[in-house]
Amino acid sequence: MAEITAFAPAIAVLPFVSFLVALFAGKYLPKKGALAGILAMGGSLVLSLLMLYTVATGHAHQSTLYTWVGGEAVPYELTFGILLDQLSTLMLVIVSLISFLVHVFSLGYMNDEDEGGLPRYYAELGLFSASMLGFVFADNLLMAFMFFELVGLCSYLLIGFWFREAGPPSAAKKAFLVTRFGDYFFLVGVVAVFATFGTAAFGGPGVEESFPHLAELALDGEASVNTFGFAPRTWFTIVGLLVLGGVMGKSAQFPFHTWLPDAMEGPTPVSALIHAATMVAAGVYLVARMYGFYALSPTALAVIAFVGGFTALFAATMGVVKREIKQVLAYSTISQYGYIMLALGGGGYVAGVFHLTTHAVFKALLFLGAGSVIIAMHHNENMWDMGGLKEEMPVTYYAFLSGSLALAGIVPFSGFWSKDEVLFETLIHGLGDSPLLLGAYAMGLLAVFFTGFYTFRMVLLTFHGEPRSDTARDPHGVRWKVKGPLAVLGALAAVAGVINLAPVAELTGAHIDFLHSWLFHGPEGLNGEHYEELLEGVAGYHAAYPLGETLTMLASAAVSLGLALAGAGLAVALYRGPEPVEHTDKLGALKTVLFNNYYQDEYQVWLAEGLTARVARAADTVDVSIVDGVVNFVSSLSLFTGDRLRRVQTGIVSNYAALLTLGLTLLLVAFGVMQGWFL
Amino acid sequence: MTTRPRLHTSSTQVVGLVAFVLFGVLAAVFLTADFGSHATFEGATGITASIGYAMFNLDAGSLPSEGFLISFEIIDVILLGALAAAVMLGKRDDEEESDESVTMADGGDR
Amino acid sequence: MAVSVQYYLILSAFVFCVGLFGILTRRNALLFLMSVELMLNAANINFVAFSYYHGNLTGQVFSLFTMALAAAEVAVGIGIILVLYRNFADVDVTKATTLRW
Repeated sequence: MAEITAFAPAIAVLPFVSFLVALFAGKYLPKKGALAGILAMGGSLVLSLLMLYTVATGHAHQSTLYTWVGGEAVPYELTFGILLDQLSTLMLVIVSLISFLVHVFSLGYMNDEDEGGLPRYYAELGLFSASMLGFVFADNLLMAFMFFELVGLCSYLLIGFWFREAGPPSAAKKAFLVTRFGDYFFLVGVVAVFATFGTAAFGGPGVEESFPHLAELALDGEASVNTFGFAPRTWFTIVGLLVLGGVMGKSAQFPFHTWLPDAMEGPTPVSALIHAATMVAAGVYLVARMYGFYALSPTALAVIAFVGGFTALFAATMGVVKREIKQVLAYSTISQYGYIMLALGGGGYVAGVFHLTTHAVFKALLFLGAGSVIIAMHHNENMWDMGGLKEEMPVTYYAFLSGSLALAGIVPFSGFWSKDEVLFETLIHGLGDSPLLLGAYAMGLLAVFFTGFYTFRMVLLTFHGEPRSDTARDPHGVRWKVKGPLAVLGALAAVAGVINLAPVAELTGAHIDFLHSWLFHGPEGLNGEHYEELLEGVAGYHAAYPLGETLTMLASAAVSLGLALAGAGLAVALYRGPEPVEHTDKLGALKTVLFNNYYQDEYQVWLAEGLTARVARAADTVDVSIVDGVVNFVSSLSLFTGDRLRRVQTGIVSNYAALLTLGLTLLLVAFGVMQGWFL
Repeated sequence: MTTRPRLHTSSTQVVGLVAFVLFGVLAAVFLTADFGSHATFEGATGITASIGYAMFNLDAGSLPSEGFLISFEIIDVILLGALAAAVMLGKRDDEEESDESVTMADGGDR
Repeated sequence: MAVSVQYYLILSAFVFCVGLFGILTRRNALLFLMSVELMLNAANINFVAFSYYHGNLTGQVFSLFTMALAAAEVAVGIGIILVLYRNFADVDVTKATTLRW
């Protein structure tokens, strides 16, 4: 079976081909290139599953496809390669599955709605999927960075898809600039990794030198790397935080989260793709990918955990007051990725990947469900104009409800298991020797309440009560292309938790924490077991169970479930009736603050306009007056002297002759005096 | 006012002094230089004939000289070129116009 | 009896400076040409003088070529003066200054 991995590049190449097909021939194809995209993504999905199976049978794989800089004279080898291990194949399946469903859904959302520019849409969607898949199976940091940037580019193109309107281009630019700001740090980090270790390989079977491994050896004093005069641990923390800049930009972590709510300007299937599987997931996936490196630095881990916990809470509070259904979902995405970061920072590698998986499923579901609602509502996204859609669109309702229960973390939906494990892992490590984590844990825990609240507020406002507008009374029907993906994802969102029922496994003793064992059996240096050793040995993370292991787990689960239920219950109590009222007004000034997203945009705009623009203007003044002044002075000086000097050229032959004669005479006299002719 | 030629004594004449200065310098150089004794054509005959031979690389002259055949040919070409150039310069720029314009006796056409 | 070579040189320098004086002070292009002829002939005097001085015929032969060159120069010079007159209606060399800048 090992040969099947030779087809691995096709996972990314297929969508790329569909990109080319849709771009150049989309106009002439039925469905404007959608079928090409669906076929390509279907192929990718099948191949990804094959790879998953191959890896499952114990054939993790790494191969270098192309060396574009290398050789004797070059100290570094820059390559394109493929790394197929437990983590990347799992992510490949998730990405290709979501992308496949999004392509199908787009048939209903874009084609049936007679949107223009469809070939462009499907081409960009194909390129988006291709770059994300390439990013996922990248075997080194530089290749990952390049595809990371491609993902950013595609999200820019897709968010600004309706570029003739006012909002989308501006939102696209914002997304591009904000993530690019983070990516500067990432780029510096990539260069730092190369300068430090001479390689940027993640590792994998057959890879002799990978940078996490070298870093590990360097900490033990077994290998020497160039740390630029810092202590190795300090330097690794710096490098890790630099790369983290890119992660925080892409994964919309505070303070780089502001682009994500605006990105809702793009078509809804694109939002689903961005939020569930590609753009935003790319950030946290990168942390998981190089977890062996982060595990070496408790400082970086603490930063990750804190940023994650804070973002989870922060975004959840903003989601509470939003009116548009997609805005609520956008803030929930930020919040949920905060949880994933919290898990990774809190030492829960498996928990982070688990939540990444379940979140991909239920967030894609919620976005596609929202897309279905938006179709029905004739592209009105305001939840206060909806209501009562439950009867009109049952498939959408039940699927959406399944996703919402998962999002809120209600047992037994998938989100409960993953979120519970995230919090549990953070808690036990926090109770160990890392009290800092407890702060992050507390924020994450509090966010559970808000999550439950805004999720059910959204569900109740959208689907329950009496219709509050004419379109809600007579919604536009949706077809199988919309319902199909919703049904698949709805079922998955309900049951995806079974891949890692850690609490149940703990209670019953049955080995049903599949994801756990899956990730623990990765290739040498890239598996969860190794990461736990590192966390224990290097980062100083220890698990502590004050109530005993089982009881602590149950208590943690009970607390988070209780809070989720409390939040959901509060939402139900407030918005239950047929004519719900806007309770947000009771929040008073706080509502304004929340509605304005804590004035995050304002201060960032101030940073850009008030500060950066002013500095730039001052620099411009220096440039114009001093730098340009010197240059202009030199030029005007030579102009002036040239103007004076040219008057020597009178054009009168006699003058030239006189000057020639004078020169000759002077020369003769000079030579004569020097040689002593006249003596 | 009569039209007889008059001596120019304007400031442009002053530059003529440079020529006198140059002459002075040259004379000073020549007179102070020591040329020593010299060979002459003392007793030589057929100088003109020797020039003729030298010009065509004929080794028949009684006086020493180099051969000048190539220089001779080059000068021939140059003279020819100068002749052609003189004709070209002397020709009027455009023939058609010259038929209409009044040609003056001195070659001008104004 | 041999005349010292210095006297030939003084004569040549004198003729040369006469030609130079003409060039420096005259404005008529035809007078220019004549002055240039004087200067060329000053060079010829030098050729012949040193030919005699060295007992070698080369200088004398070369002065013949110089005369031929002078003829060519005059041919072209007259042509240029013709054009000059056509363009400026004058043979005053100080007036033809349109090409200076």
